[in-house]
Amino acid sequence: MTIAEMNFFQRMLYILERYGSSLAKGAATTMAIAIICTLLGCVIGFAVGLIQTTEPHKKDGIVKRGILRFVKVVLTAYVEVFRGTPMMLQAAFIYYGMSQLFNINLGMWSAAIIIVSINTGAYMAETVRGGILSVDPGQREGARAIGMSHFQTMLLVILPQALRNIMPQIGNNLIINIKDTCVLSIIGTVELFFTFRSISGALYTYFEAATVTMIIYFVLTFVCSRILRFVETKMDGPSNFDLATTDTLAFTSGLTRYDANKGGTF
Amino acid sequence: MEEILKIEHLVKTFGSNEVLRDIDFTVSKGDVTSIIGASGSGKSTLLRCINMLEEATGGKILYHGKNILAGEVNEDQYRTKVGMVFQSFNLFSNYSVLDNCIIGQTHVLKRSREEAEKNAMEYLSKVGMAQYIKAKPRQLSGGQKQRVAIARALAMNPEVLLFDEPTSALDPEMVGEVLDVMKALAETGMTMLVVTHEMAFARDVSNRVIYMADGMIEEEGTPEKIFTSPDSPKTKDFLSRFSAKNV
Repeated sequence: MTIAEMNFFQRMLYILERYGSSLAKGAATTMAIAIICTLLGCVIGFAVGLIQTTEPHKKDGIVKRGILRFVKVVLTAYVEVFRGTPMMLQAAFIYYGMSQLFNINLGMWSAAIIIVSINTGAYMAETVRGGILSVDPGQREGARAIGMSHFQTMLLVILPQALRNIMPQIGNNLIINIKDTCVLSIIGTVELFFTFRSISGALYTYFEAATVTMIIYFVLTFVCSRILRFVETKMDGPSNFDLATTDTLAFTSGLTRYDANKGGTF
Repeated sequence: MEEILKIEHLVKTFGSNEVLRDIDFTVSKGDVTSIIGASGSGKSTLLRCINMLEEATGGKILYHGKNILAGEVNEDQYRTKVGMVFQSFNLFSNYSVLDNCIIGQTHVLKRSREEAEKNAMEYLSKVGMAQYIKAKPRQLSGGQKQRVAIARALAMNPEVLLFDEPTSALDPEMVGEVLDVMKALAETGMTMLVVTHEMAFARDVSNRVIYMADGMIEEEGTPEKIFTSPDSPKTKDFLSRFSAKNV
């Protein structure tokens, strides 16, 4: 039976049979790039978002203030440029620019990772900034009031809460990255979309190849979004808590317990 | 008594708005001072300046003779000695009750986890919250949160504890449990500086009352003096508004 004689489902099965391993490889590449780049993008985003929300200390000298100001301007430019231009063009710009201007031939992997990471980082920077601003200012005051430094306050109190607040957005970014890695086919990265183009080009079965590839993309994104939802629930911790046994605690602390009628027992 | 804090000519302005003008007073060891006054009189700002959450515009705050405003004392170390309890509790929502009371000890005071836990449990027991160590702040009532916040401040073993309207955000039935804890704490000899609208607390628990009006200390004295025979007509007028509330 030739391809022309097959029906829709037979063609899809044929594609899976013949190109299953290529599709699996493409899907793996897509996922690897998406996950690595989302993580790196988060790191970049947290670094940039942190600097963007840093206010100069009142006692800082003019040099320190100037440096901070300068760094902020550079980072704002980075965020605006990478959010404001298509990733497909950024890919071409960086990949071909590096080889033409500096004679550096970025490999497929490093090019893909650099481009998607800095692109994600630009989006994450704004997300993180929003996440930090969304944390109640009282949390910062509570931390400063027990003597935490600015750094400790951020690391122990503000950022963990900001991270929880922006988890849905990180998930969003991961899903966007899974799909948007397809623009990397412009620089020849063999990911899922590239595989689709090879198959459809070889067999002239655009509809069936597209259907198969779409299903794979959907499974990947759907599984990821479920996993991330699960992680969010985990981060929230249990909605109930156990009361500790008072007797043991009274024993370890050597103190009597609170009496609602008498008030505190100091 | 040994002087812990001495405030001299403290001034704080927000733009052209003078919130504190020329504040002078001293906090000695064991003092329980209540600061009363109408809303907007600068009470909370004064407390926030003492804790350096607001930067004072002028004057001096001397901590054991060293001016903290001139940077003679490390800001973070100073804050471990001068604890603060907020109106809005400000418990860390990402930590359990126990960890709220431990994290400052382990990271700021560099105590071992074991030692910090023992110390935290001691104070959590004292405020009657030892049963709740595994709870997250969002699972507690307002009164419980404030008791944990007091334990968190005490776990740092401060010399002075500042209370910024600790019962103002609480439902009426929860005010009592927090005031009871504060009263018990005062009886242990803790040095406390309390901004409050609870006149009964100011009268019965504190040994000194400061009445503030328009960013200045209008009158200062023992509770008996302030509540029975105040010198200033402003003080008299302010307190008369509370007489209906069965002070």
